[in-house]
Amino acid sequence: MSALVRLAGRIFAARWVLLPPLTGAGVLALIVGALVVAPREVIEGDVQRLLYLHFPAILAAYLAFAIVFVASIGVLLTRDLRWDALARAAAGVGVLFTGVTLGTGMFWGKPIWGVYWTWDARLTSTLVLFLIYIAYLLARAVADELDEQAARFAAVFAIIGALDIPLIMMSVRWWRTLHPQPIVMRGLERPALPLEMLVVLVVGFAGITLLALWLMALRGEAERLAQRTAVLRAALDRAELHNAGGV
Amino acid sequence: MSAVRAVIANDLRLAWRDRAGWTTAGAFAVIAVLLYSFAFDLAVGDPRPLLPGVLWTTFLFAGVFASAPSAQRDVEGGTFDALLLAPVDPVVIYLGKATANLIALLVVEFAVLAVATILFGIMLLTAPIAGIVIVGTAGFVSLTTLLATLGASMRARGMLLPVLALPLLVPLLLAAVRATSAALGLEAGTAPWTLLLGVFALWSTLIAAILFPLAVER
Repeated sequence: MSALVRLAGRIFAARWVLLPPLTGAGVLALIVGALVVAPREVIEGDVQRLLYLHFPAILAAYLAFAIVFVASIGVLLTRDLRWDALARAAAGVGVLFTGVTLGTGMFWGKPIWGVYWTWDARLTSTLVLFLIYIAYLLARAVADELDEQAARFAAVFAIIGALDIPLIMMSVRWWRTLHPQPIVMRGLERPALPLEMLVVLVVGFAGITLLALWLMALRGEAERLAQRTAVLRAALDRAELHNAGGV
Repeated sequence: MSAVRAVIANDLRLAWRDRAGWTTAGAFAVIAVLLYSFAFDLAVGDPRPLLPGVLWTTFLFAGVFASAPSAQRDVEGGTFDALLLAPVDPVVIYLGKATANLIALLVVEFAVLAVATILFGIMLLTAPIAGIVIVGTAGFVSLTTLLATLGASMRARGMLLPVLALPLLVPLLLAAVRATSAALGLEAGTAPWTLLLGVFALWSTLIAAILFPLAVER
């Protein structure tokens, strides 16, 4: 167990060395795979290649939202603002990838369904999710970096939002359904996707996940630096006040 | 239990003394129903297909707008800090506040139902609709009270609260509108929607009761 923790710590320490080249390789492989290697889909044509971005992006967004959830619990339990920095970073990346999913979905929907948008269950619940995490970012953005109360408030909202997701999905599914049922993971014996497509999709998943992790690392570091700048600035203000009082 | 009653009594007394807040919420709700009836021309033909949506969006807006000022008054007057110093479980404070908000909002909502019954000539004050309104309101008041109380000291809270609360309440809105439609005899199966409404009310109360103490502990 402790060896595992030490290994994780060592990987985390090396994130600035590991993530950029791995992400670059992964995203490059995704582009080549999606545009060149993957076969042209017979019925839908080239537009189906959006799958290799569309599906990995939503998984990366869910990963990011899961991190927001865990980090928000961390904020409430420990009152440590490093958790807050992580939650904000992950929420920003999650919103970005949800936006990518919605955007690619629209461009895919237009030629195939004939419309950019339809009030299907999965589309609607993804849109509501998008709104919830934009609201989270807004709630956190109106207060400054070191405002612990605002961090707690945002954490409470993020936890409610995450636990609301099953209810949103259930209610919206009862309300409407048009999106194709998941065909990627229908069972390992008879996968619905041809092997080449599946391989490209797995590569895409790896590339997009690495990209999401790298963005989260960058964003989290930026948030940490902003927090430290705010601490320094507050100390500087105090020192100036002290000096002015002394003279 | 007596502590919960004390908090409820205190909040209701404050709400009564400062009637302007809740009267404004009530006036807003009635005006919203009037505006909807002009906008969708509900006076012509059968208003029943649109009425549940009109009523529930009005209830949500009125509830979200009304919960912010009462929480803000509490924080600015120091009542909230004093309550937290009292030797009672924070859950008790939360439950008292939520119940007081629920009672005040139900008064507003039943007034709107009475006005709508008169305006549209459709009996809305029936037992099934009353049940749906009570359970549905309990479901969203628990969340708006939590968010309003915790966010009362933040900047831009007036604008922020609707943006935060309304996306969370999408399942509740869908369930409440469908259940109300069914109660008006517009669709058959009510069961899943009333079930979802009940589940949402339980879920939101439970989650708020767990999170409130964690968020306010000093």
